[in-house]
Amino acid sequence: MNERNSIFTPTRRALLKGGASLLAAPAVLAAGAARAEARKEVVVVNYGGAAMKAFDEAYVQPFAAQGGRMVLDGSGPLNGKILTMVQSRNVTWDICDCGVTTLAELGPRNALEKIDYSIVDKSKVATEFAYENGVVNYMFSSVLAWDTAKVKETPTLADFFDLKKYPGRRMVRKDSQAMLELCLIADGVPLDQLYPLDVKRAFAKLGTIKKDVLYWNSGAESQSLMRDGECVMGLLWHTRANVLKAETNNRIAYTFKDGLLQPGLWVVPKNNPAGPEAFRAIASMQQPEGQVKLLTAMGNGPSNPAAQSMVPEALRATNPADPANAAVQARINAAWYIENHSKTFQAYLDFISS
Amino acid sequence: MSSPADQLTPSPSRPGFGVTARYWLLILPALALMIVCYIYPISKVLWLSVTEPRPGLDNYAMLATSASIQRMLATTARISVISTLITLVLAYIVSYALVHTSERVRRWMFLGVLVPLWISVLVRAFAWFVLLRREGLINNILISSGLVDAPLSLIWNETGVLIGMVHYMLPFGILPIYANMRDIDQRCVAAARGLGASRAVAFRQVFLPLSMPGVVGASILVFIFSLGFFVTPAILGGGKTLMIAEYIKVQILEIVRWGVGSMLAGTLLIIIGGLLVALARVVDLRKLFGSI
Repeated sequence: MNERNSIFTPTRRALLKGGASLLAAPAVLAAGAARAEARKEVVVVNYGGAAMKAFDEAYVQPFAAQGGRMVLDGSGPLNGKILTMVQSRNVTWDICDCGVTTLAELGPRNALEKIDYSIVDKSKVATEFAYENGVVNYMFSSVLAWDTAKVKETPTLADFFDLKKYPGRRMVRKDSQAMLELCLIADGVPLDQLYPLDVKRAFAKLGTIKKDVLYWNSGAESQSLMRDGECVMGLLWHTRANVLKAETNNRIAYTFKDGLLQPGLWVVPKNNPAGPEAFRAIASMQQPEGQVKLLTAMGNGPSNPAAQSMVPEALRATNPADPANAAVQARINAAWYIENHSKTFQAYLDFISS
Repeated sequence: MSSPADQLTPSPSRPGFGVTARYWLLILPALALMIVCYIYPISKVLWLSVTEPRPGLDNYAMLATSASIQRMLATTARISVISTLITLVLAYIVSYALVHTSERVRRWMFLGVLVPLWISVLVRAFAWFVLLRREGLINNILISSGLVDAPLSLIWNETGVLIGMVHYMLPFGILPIYANMRDIDQRCVAAARGLGASRAVAFRQVFLPLSMPGVVGASILVFIFSLGFFVTPAILGGGKTLMIAEYIKVQILEIVRWGVGSMLAGTLLIIIGGLLVALARVVDLRKLFGSI
């Protein structure tokens, strides 16, 4: 392997440092230069947009109250970008908002730090979502949504594949993750017996409606396809379905039933600049109060089981990790993805483009 | 025209440090910049393609063994050829009109050709999205006028990709063809007419052959652009039209198979280089790109 793949020359670190010192200046004056210098700043990367403001209120401010310094970067921690940083030994990120596929692609390439569970509290997460190289930050679901103007009764996942019963176009994600699971559930595989995934069977199921399927890439795309009435039913993230429901005055409805519950993960790139301070930041973000704020703002389900009871009654229906909602969903199996993600995703792209 | 070899010959009056050598010094900074910012990174990418995940030509062997890569390349080639052909026909018609119209009309026509060129490709793809979708302007007009009774599938398929790509490529087709046609001596056509050729014969036997260098240049330019096109197929293709640029993106950013991604980038580079070499035998490349 090449020692220094300096194809990209990241300068974001320098930029962020400049910005952070500006932001931190009043804090330094207030708290005394020595203390502020003692703790390194932690750069947290997410996918931007509404998440910037929500993360700031839910995580950055509470961490600052504890004397920590957290900076948000909304540029999107794609697997390839993280690996580039690690291999060029020019890591500018400390914590990345990733998913199970990051464990699958970057774990074996030795690009992720092991989560330090002496700092990050395992008792504050569902243990099944506390992995060696990543720990759950929030829960989300891939769910079935439909256009109530065209689908009158509540459809089941099996109806999604029934073009006779509900004619019209369908929408799925251009990613095998969760889509294959939902195909299998629709085909009658029990929620707790999905893994190992029968990929062939899932493709066969998707193949039955292939002519009538559109594939979405970004979350925004999934929203616009449903909003504009291009599709009568769709499989998408519950957070997006939730926004759609509100902005269309309930014309778009969705259900957690037979959905797939997935963890968003914090991962720490190897040799991150803040070192162990990153884990202290993750520990700080385990506080239930911030997680409930994030649910209120964005619909991301709290990962700390203790937060579930703090969720206001009105928000319970939108919380994928709420015990009532979790009970009717399948759960993703990271171990299977670590083994199979790359080739399954490739096969999925081949399948839909053939 | 003097050949580069003539220019390289040092002036005999000042041995060792000729006039031309000093001129070469002037371009040295630009050359250094090219090497550092362009040639070095590209060679790193090509290097990756023969070293990732292990040294050897395994990645290039996938061109012969991987059905999915072959299918993706075939899709890329097919769409590029079709969009190039459509673009050329449309660009030829527009250029012909541009040359033969009055100065005032020509200025307005040029505005119509150039303004889209200055608008972001992303915005243009979304504009097509608004026009072509099921409840978009075009389908609404077609349905309300009774021409069709169900909305046409104009988008989320290859039709949508082709419409968006041809629209983007048109200025790149029109400009070289127009530049060439402008230089054609109209008196040749007039002479042919004077000698008794019909309008069609004069066009086919005189004007068309004279305009061919522009057509060849435009075709190669448009075809090369089409090969590496990313945004339009990704947005208008409904996820089903997988072309090489998007395939590379997936390899690099998502499943981090850098070897495969850089191999495909290298393959694209080789194909384009080959096309340019082939083209150079037909037309004068410097004139072609300089005339735009």
